[in-house]
Amino acid sequence: MKQTEQQRILIVEDDVHIAEGLKLNLTLQGYEAAIARSGTAGLKMWKEWNPQLIVLDIMLPGLDGWSVLRHIRLEEERLPILILSAKGAPDDRVKGFSFGVDDYLAKPFNLEEFLLRVQRLLTRASWSKNPERGGGSEETTESMEYRFGGNTIDWNTLTASCRQGTIQLTEQEAKLLKVFILNRGKPLSRKLLLEVGWGYSGVTSTRTVDNFIVRLRKYFEEDPQNPVYFRSLRSVGYLFDHP
Amino acid sequence: MKQAKWFIHPVFIFILSTVALAISLFLYIYWYIGVSENLKSVIRRYQLDGNQFFEAQTWVVILSLSLLVGVIMLGILIIFIYNLKTLQLYRLQHTFINNFTHELKTPVTSLKIYLETFAKYQLPREEQLKYIGFMLQDTERLSGNINSILNLARIESRLHEGESTPVDLPETIRQFVIQNRHLFHDCDIQVAPPVAGPLICPLIVPLFEMLLMNILTNAMKYNASGKPRIDITFEQDRHALRIRFRDNGIGIAKEERKRIFSKFYQGWHDERVPVGGSGIGLYLVQQIARLHHGKVVADSEGDGKGAVFTLTLPAIAPK
Repeated sequence: MKQTEQQRILIVEDDVHIAEGLKLNLTLQGYEAAIARSGTAGLKMWKEWNPQLIVLDIMLPGLDGWSVLRHIRLEEERLPILILSAKGAPDDRVKGFSFGVDDYLAKPFNLEEFLLRVQRLLTRASWSKNPERGGGSEETTESMEYRFGGNTIDWNTLTASCRQGTIQLTEQEAKLLKVFILNRGKPLSRKLLLEVGWGYSGVTSTRTVDNFIVRLRKYFEEDPQNPVYFRSLRSVGYLFDHP
Repeated sequence: MKQAKWFIHPVFIFILSTVALAISLFLYIYWYIGVSENLKSVIRRYQLDGNQFFEAQTWVVILSLSLLVGVIMLGILIIFIYNLKTLQLYRLQHTFINNFTHELKTPVTSLKIYLETFAKYQLPREEQLKYIGFMLQDTERLSGNINSILNLARIESRLHEGESTPVDLPETIRQFVIQNRHLFHDCDIQVAPPVAGPLICPLIVPLFEMLLMNILTNAMKYNASGKPRIDITFEQDRHALRIRFRDNGIGIAKEERKRIFSKFYQGWHDERVPVGGSGIGLYLVQQIARLHHGKVVADSEGDGKGAVFTLTLPAIAPK
């Protein structure tokens, strides 16, 4: 069953004992495992180490597991992520799957079951690895275009045709747009936008978010002073919606 | 908790009943005046002696009606406030259960992983010992958690463990630190010698040790420096004996300093400290201090500048 090339698994878990125990077992199974002790460390390792699977805890210091998951899903739909959390209530599981997790195990779990699930996730991931990228079945990228009002966003080229003509979106602008589109009609706090869109924990100034909103409004709103798509909600944050 | 529908929201019900009451008061008075006007005209028509019916009674009726309505309003207000308090407690308890579940499940998960690993693989002896060490620490964490919840119940029901006995305070602390070396191995704990010789103080020793354990482990937990350090000093004057626990941890925000002693309250977390905790440690500390007729206050010079917990006990009577 084992592949010749070692597969990399990232464990995002703040408890040293559990993290070490998981690493020990994954290593004994022939995988290469690494540990990140916090959400931000996890995101950093995801970028730099490029793992094939992530085992994610929810209750983490600083940036929590939900934000890590949502941030990763903005960029990578296909990376298998398994949540391993003490929160095992149906509500939490539903939340996890709605944010795009592939599998969910509640702590304490059966080791054998965990290892088999990991193996299965990796096997499935290897099937779907086809040479042409992004011909996907995912919800957000299937049309590869998103329209609202008189605006069209092309996710392939990261361009948008709007009232200013055709413009090139930066990567960060595109990410923030995705967060808004995935949460259409739901109020989003500045803190959440920062955590999901940038992968920062709450310490960084939320002014950054405001500056990006100003830019998005300039691109997409008929009248940026009286926005209809990217509305401000007093003492809450922002809300994106369109007919 | 799910958001209640707006029409059964307590604030809405409160406003509605207040408005209803005010309207009914107005209507009582309005109708009363109307009826008495009619009565007056009847009296006039039949030329009866009006004085024997009412006269100067109108204001008495209005006053007593207003008073009664006032009492009812006060009652509603009290029930409303009481309801808010209950809700608040309910929320705190809810977060407590969540946190405590996490605190219990984490060591159990760790134990389970290692036991299943041992059942599955034959590991070399040194590795086994390392992981057995982990497991022992996990059982300690578990029993610590269980003890703190049992102690909470015991202290709240005022079943003290034994009577207070006079002991030398600095020596008790020193002994405690030495006995629990294994818990504080990477922490530098300095107990300053008191200025005026031994300080004999009546203490309920098992409870006092619990207080020490909570303050010291907190100082270690909320610490981001490589080398945690706790300085314990004593200060005595005619009115009180003050024991200061000064650490080099992450400090406590100003608005948190009082709240951290509330039952089930958990301080905010950031990257520097692990999540979890039951939210009862400092509550226990305060309760134990009260049982000794003293109190504990927290102070901090600011973020990252460490915290000082001061335990104030009643002055020792001079011999």
